[in-house]
Amino acid sequence: MQTHKSLVSKYLLTLAVMICFLVILMGFKNPEDTYKPTRHTVTIFKMKFNPENLVVNKGDTVVWINKDFYQHDVTELTSKKWTSKPLNQGESWSKVITEDIKYYCDLHKVMKGTITIAK
Amino acid sequence: MKTKMNYKLIVICTLVMGISSLMMAQDTPPLTDPEIASVAVVANQIDIDYGKVAIKRSKNKEVTDFANRMIEDHSAVIKQAVALVTKLGVTPKDNAVSQSLMTQSKETLKKLNSVSKMDFDKTYIDNEVAYHEAVIGAVKNVLIPQAQNSELKDLLEAVLPALEAHLGHAKMAQTKISK
Repeated sequence: MQTHKSLVSKYLLTLAVMICFLVILMGFKNPEDTYKPTRHTVTIFKMKFNPENLVVNKGDTVVWINKDFYQHDVTELTSKKWTSKPLNQGESWSKVITEDIKYYCDLHKVMKGTITIAK
Repeated sequence: MKTKMNYKLIVICTLVMGISSLMMAQDTPPLTDPEIASVAVVANQIDIDYGKVAIKRSKNKEVTDFANRMIEDHSAVIKQAVALVTKLGVTPKDNAVSQSLMTQSKETLKKLNSVSKMDFDKTYIDNEVAYHEAVIGAVKNVLIPQAQNSELKDLLEAVLPALEAHLGHAKMAQTKISK
């Protein structure tokens, strides 16, 4: 017959082993599983995307905000496969980045920018 | 062919006259802020008027998109300028430079309205390239240095990158049209 004291000791030991196991498991967790996506801001001002070239992690969000009093948009450069609507002063638009992109302003075609996924 | 050459000459002469009148302002008494405000509004309105003719006469999407952009952007500048002069309690004052710009623009409008449809796109875009080059020079060398009020100076400085972007855009369109 086990005493109450030895039962408590057994439980405590089991609990300790489980905690150790969990701590070890967390240590081996894929860093991507714990990565929290970040929000980056690209300011549109004086006819430029600032920064023009941005490096982000896969899954991060980029927010473009128009600070010019002219309308601008954000459009995929090579085939216009996506675009924001025209943004008035103070308006913003965001996109989750899953691949490297090259973009431009379709309203002012000389304005260009890139987003690159960090290796 | 001869007509084309004549138009080209008229465009060049008109613009040279325009640039000269703006540059001569450097030798004449400096423009006051109300006069600078008037020049800024007139110069923007002129390009809006050219754009309206382009939308009416051109069938080329490259040209009509560019013209629409000129109308939108230059209207936005006028809106900002009007808001600023209202805030400052200043009334834009007509002057020799703005009058000269108006006179030359009447000639250019006459030409844009009378040139054959076949020659219109090239005439319009060539004029846009030359007009923006002239206006950039005037804003940089005459209007910004002579503006006294810091907010007026700031507005002129904010307009400069847009004029440069328009010039780049016009050159891109020019290359496509001449192909």
